[in-house]
Amino acid sequence: MEFLISTSIIPEQWDSIIAICIGIAFGFVLESSGFSSSRKMAGVFYGYDFAVLKVFFTAAVVAVIGIYYLDYLGYLDVTKLYIHPTYVWGAIIGGAIMGVGFIAGGFCPGTGLCGVAIGKLDAWVYVLGILIGIFIFSELYTVFEPIYNGYYLGNITLIDSFEWNPYWTIFIFSIIAVVAFVVADMVRKKIKKVFY
Amino acid sequence: MVKKRIAKILSFRYTMMAAILILLAGGLVLLPKYQESEGIPAEQLLSNIISLERYVSTDQISDKLISQDPSFILIDVRSEERYNSYTLPNAINIPLKKLLDKEFESYLNQDQYDVVFFSDDNFYADQAWAICNRLEYKNLHVLKGGINKWFTTIINPKKPNENMSSKAFELYTTRKAASLFYGVVYPDQTKTKSVIKKAPRKIITVKKKKKMPVEGGC
Repeated sequence: MEFLISTSIIPEQWDSIIAICIGIAFGFVLESSGFSSSRKMAGVFYGYDFAVLKVFFTAAVVAVIGIYYLDYLGYLDVTKLYIHPTYVWGAIIGGAIMGVGFIAGGFCPGTGLCGVAIGKLDAWVYVLGILIGIFIFSELYTVFEPIYNGYYLGNITLIDSFEWNPYWTIFIFSIIAVVAFVVADMVRKKIKKVFY
Repeated sequence: MVKKRIAKILSFRYTMMAAILILLAGGLVLLPKYQESEGIPAEQLLSNIISLERYVSTDQISDKLISQDPSFILIDVRSEERYNSYTLPNAINIPLKKLLDKEFESYLNQDQYDVVFFSDDNFYADQAWAICNRLEYKNLHVLKGGINKWFTTIINPKKPNENMSSKAFELYTTRKAASLFYGVVYPDQTKTKSVIKKAPRKIITVKKKKKMPVEGGC
């Protein structure tokens, strides 16, 4: 898509429309796989439903294998992909806050909006909480700014900074994924079933 | 019976999918690796080679020199001796052997000026052009015919025959006027000996443009 846009086969003005279409498709898939339910989302922490873990792990593994095959065949250049910049402490603190919110609310921001769309009350409260959080952050931005913009490491990846071989990394990563699925399944069988 | 068999096979579906995933990931490890060629892709190089902008004529360069166009750098890729004996006005000497030296990189790797290579013919200049193209430098050109052509067209233009078109005569007068600019003396001028004027070599330092990181996000 980036290729189509940067070579102006699709003009830049279409960016928002493409984004909306992709967003609608993403929301539809989330909702139809039951991710708009906070019980299903929180299940991964209580051990009765590992759908979240399985879905996101599978998505990551399939995407990375696909990308590296495309790179090998020359259809795509891995070195030219966008890498999100790393702000170490911002990422750690933000991740911790997000984790607490995830367990307490039973949603991550994307699925929260899915819940809002189908009219779940807890999702409405959850998104209201997000908005309050945004408000507090914006008001106290000057206080948070050194953490928000500091500890900048650039657009780094594990493979670059530890000089790992990407292919072995992917192989080991996919084995970890499969092992995680097996263990998750074993845990799920031992835990008392919850109906929701 | 068939249904039962299908059900039996399907009960292993997750195991099979996990096996496929690991096989595919293992395939990545086992695939024979090849050294990816760095620099310009072949198609791009080809399109640069057949591009009309690759060659500039001696007339164009002469025009630019006379009008003191600041948008280009002339680069003489001949040896230093040849450069010292004669060169084009304001040309910089980068012998072909030293083309990849660090000290000359700032002249070549920039996108503010047009770089024009020349040598005696365009043979060595073309080699320099190809090397710099491989390094993905921009705005590269070659002086068609090099200094030999420069002599036969600008310094010593051939007088057209009477039966040639008026355009040929126009070109001749332009070239003759240009040669006067470069200090050539014609016998029909009642001038005493004049020294061939060689413009001082100007060195233009070029700041290398910093590459900005790609912006964006999810």
